[in-house]
Amino acid sequence: MSTDTGDQYQEILQGLYGMLERFPTRNIDLQEQTDLVADMGLDSINVMELLQEIEDRFDIIVPLNVMSDVRTVQDLATQVQRLIRENS
Amino acid sequence: MSISKRFAELEHIRSALNEADADPGRIVMERMLSATEAEIAGRRTILAGTNNYLGLTFEPGILEAAHQALCEQGSGTTGSRMANGSFASHVALERSFAEFYGMPAAMIFSTGYQANLGILTGLLRPGDKVMIDAHSHASIYDGCRLSGADFFPFRHNDPEDLRKRLRRLGDDARGALVVTEGLYSMLGDIAPLAELLAVTEEFGAYLMVDEAHSLGVYGEQGRGVTEAAGILDRVDFITGTFSKSLGSMGGYCVSRHEQLNLLRYGSRPYIFTASSSPANIAAAHWALDHIRSHPELRETLWSNVARLYGGLKELGCTLGAEPSPVVAVRVGSHDEAARIWNELLAAGVYVNLVVPPASPDGASLLRCSVSAGHSPEQIDTIVTAFGEAISRTAFAGACCSGQA
Repeated sequence: MSTDTGDQYQEILQGLYGMLERFPTRNIDLQEQTDLVADMGLDSINVMELLQEIEDRFDIIVPLNVMSDVRTVQDLATQVQRLIRENS
Repeated sequence: MSISKRFAELEHIRSALNEADADPGRIVMERMLSATEAEIAGRRTILAGTNNYLGLTFEPGILEAAHQALCEQGSGTTGSRMANGSFASHVALERSFAEFYGMPAAMIFSTGYQANLGILTGLLRPGDKVMIDAHSHASIYDGCRLSGADFFPFRHNDPEDLRKRLRRLGDDARGALVVTEGLYSMLGDIAPLAELLAVTEEFGAYLMVDEAHSLGVYGEQGRGVTEAAGILDRVDFITGTFSKSLGSMGGYCVSRHEQLNLLRYGSRPYIFTASSSPANIAAAHWALDHIRSHPELRETLWSNVARLYGGLKELGCTLGAEPSPVVAVRVGSHDEAARIWNELLAAGVYVNLVVPPASPDGASLLRCSVSAGHSPEQIDTIVTAFGEAISRTAFAGACCSGQA
């Protein structure tokens, strides 16, 4: 990962933490490996809200079908970074 | 995930429903007494949760039509139309649907669920773009998933949000598909179709409307919310079901594009399913003709809607924004909903218990569907039962907070 890409990833990750903290987190420390469903307990409605927030924040559009490959915060950040790159 | 883990996961869901005494799957209609009454657990029960909007299931005409088809054409088709050929009754029903909507093409499917699955998988290929209302029925989500297309939920009934998302698609917005429903089945709200169509047209996209709950209910001729919105000639695809207002079983799609018929060669849910039984087709056809010639059914339905909505509002219940044949009473919690639901059943009233994740916005609902077949006395009994059930639950204050 180049420095620029790495910086961008960190920026996305911090943005995601900020958004995720507003959901019920079961008092866990959010980390890259935190599982959105198994650890955080997000339901499908939470996921939908989260996606809409992500789209507005990063001005991208996230197909719901990519979410089947997303388990952890890291997976989500990687997908967001990919979509930002594709959009630019 | 192994199958044993999956069984354990499902067992967990079942136990949770059982513990809360809130498993709608345990309801058995032991004997049907009419379109609006059945015996449940030995008790005569008013049915206010069966989507039988026009109450046609026991009409002498529908029974006779189904009976005649059964005797003349047999009990089943024993295969798909692509393999076994079509019965003349299938082709005739498609012609009637096309004529009813004034469109050049109609296809019928074996269920409403399959109509959406068949149209979406037939139209879309991997990489195509679809915008769907976030409150869409499972068949729309599943159809999108199965097609491999990229699909994006937009905020429920929000044309501005649709515009924002289509804009983000850039060039891909042209030729994309937008999917909405007419009447939403859980909260009973209707889509702002004219506004959604305007946005769709602005981007050169296609519009598909699922009228499963609105066929026979909205529009001067009962053609749904699309007709009521005055956009029948501009919407691209309309899907729906026979299993609600038509009192049968099956699904359909009509289109202003004659090429809809080409999906017969590329829609796997159409190609690989046995076609509807002759009795189902005959019942649906009779009902379609009947709703066209009996607009008074809709008047009776809407009068019942006003009576139920008004009665529940007077009790102080929190209801959907406007009266519709789906009247959803919103309560504070899952437990409270289950308690009231059981009280209603004990009082001989069946409604739908809807709790997350089945409810669209995390709400716990007691969902009533109104029928033209309900008598005013039955509606009054439903309202009275709600009043008593609510007052008997410990959380009455939370449910009826005087927001009427």
